[in-house]
Amino acid sequence: MAAADSCDGISTSGGGWEKTVTLVSSDDARFEVREAAASLSQTVRRMIRAGGDGGIPLPKVDARTLSTVLEYCNKHAAVPAPAPESSSAEAAAVDLEWFDKELMHVDLATLCSLIRAADYLEVAGLLDLTCKTVADMIKSKTAEEIRQMFGIQNDFTPEEEEQLSRENAGVFE
Amino acid sequence: MSPTPARPPPALPDDVVEEVLARFPPDDPALLVRTALVCKDWCRLLSGPGFRRRFRRFHRKPPLLFYIYHCATLIYYKPTSSFRPLHPASPDWNILNARHGRFLVLNVTSPAPSMEAEFIVWDPTTDEQHRLPMPPFEYTSWNAALLCAAAGCDHSDCPWGPFLVVFVFARSSEEGMMSACVYSSELARSLEGADLRSPRRNAIYFGCHIKTGVLEYDLGKQELSMVGLPPLTYWTHFVLMTAEDGGLGFASVQGSKLCLWSRVAGGPGGSATWVQQRAIELDNVLPVRDPSMSPNVYTVAVAGELGVVFIWADGELFTIDLRSGQIEKVGNGISGSGFVPYTNFYTPGTETSHHPFYP
Repeated sequence: MAAADSCDGISTSGGGWEKTVTLVSSDDARFEVREAAASLSQTVRRMIRAGGDGGIPLPKVDARTLSTVLEYCNKHAAVPAPAPESSSAEAAAVDLEWFDKELMHVDLATLCSLIRAADYLEVAGLLDLTCKTVADMIKSKTAEEIRQMFGIQNDFTPEEEEQLSRENAGVFE
Repeated sequence: MSPTPARPPPALPDDVVEEVLARFPPDDPALLVRTALVCKDWCRLLSGPGFRRRFRRFHRKPPLLFYIYHCATLIYYKPTSSFRPLHPASPDWNILNARHGRFLVLNVTSPAPSMEAEFIVWDPTTDEQHRLPMPPFEYTSWNAALLCAAAGCDHSDCPWGPFLVVFVFARSSEEGMMSACVYSSELARSLEGADLRSPRRNAIYFGCHIKTGVLEYDLGKQELSMVGLPPLTYWTHFVLMTAEDGGLGFASVQGSKLCLWSRVAGGPGGSATWVQQRAIELDNVLPVRDPSMSPNVYTVAVAGELGVVFIWADGELFTIDLRSGQIEKVGNGISGSGFVPYTNFYTPGTETSHHPFYP
């Protein structure tokens, strides 16, 4: 349960009366989460509605990844909806932006695991954040650099590669 | 927390690769083309219809890829993105307008005399050209516009679909001396009475400077009529657009403001009347000291899908975002004549469907 222990902020909040649900990762780590936070995942929300005992199994997400996903959900679900254009709304938005930025300071392998988890769990905000982060990493890279990043083999023959480059040279600058 | 050990990234499913690459900026399609060179799998994904749909859905508004304008007998092409057409516009073309990713072009070097001039419907992203003849009408002036003809189309991806071209002709400024006809790409000929028996009531509008009004052609009723305009200071400089309520609207610079008008019901006897819906102050936002004193500040075009109006201001071209009011300079040193912006999405493989690497 080391992964679960390292994830702060997933226990019930101060008052203790807030409804919680238990999520179970692929490696059997159990996470008790506020329902409001867990419901940012459409997949979990559907499973809560369906009911059941013994926690919600998430066989496609390991504990390490799930703890980061829940860190995101806890933070984002904790933000109340303040009146737009108020100073507190602006401060909350800045805080959330800073939080998101910090959360994305991980290696590519972790990011890819997060994308897969966000896609499976249907956490739209996290999917967008992680995809945008990886897209920004790729944007400035050459095809060869992208291959190295993802461990992809170049399966174009030199002739095919040259033909593709030649065709596109006239279309783009 | 201990530093994350370096490990190879897990393979991403196709769906997730598409989700990531859909975040690339649509005004820099060169990035997508470069990324398609990573491997055959990515090339196949990026050039497939699934990615194209996802890319469009994610970005919603098609980017401004370039604009074209005419000066004297020359045609100028100005890129505003990394997109370059496979073949540029021919110097013999007179670009009339663009809609949903296709240009309507008058080919001025048609071998036949003016009565049989040739039109070209051109998609610069696919380089596809569809040719059609000028209908045999007598006229002293004419205009034409392109329409999507796909039933129930939301126009999010219709450059490959069927189209209509509506021609209007005038022998004089009198209403009875005007006529119209509609060409169908599906039938490869002009529509006849029976073809137009459609339950929908769609109208298309043309700016008409002879009578300071708008010429309306109702496709359902096959009727032409004139719609008057409110009194404007510089009435020659207005651009027709779809108003925010979905009806007919126009934009015009009046004094120091960009005024947006729409035609709404509520006039005398229940008739339609013009109402100025909004006015966007241009003073202090355009580099013209006092727009109200300059006749050289005027609207030249609208890119409805993008929600921007193009304004020519003393030698410089600007876009004004109608939602945010944000102003962006997009060019300078051009004349405002025959200005046509081109907005569309470009994804790899669009222009090379014959390519062995693309499905």
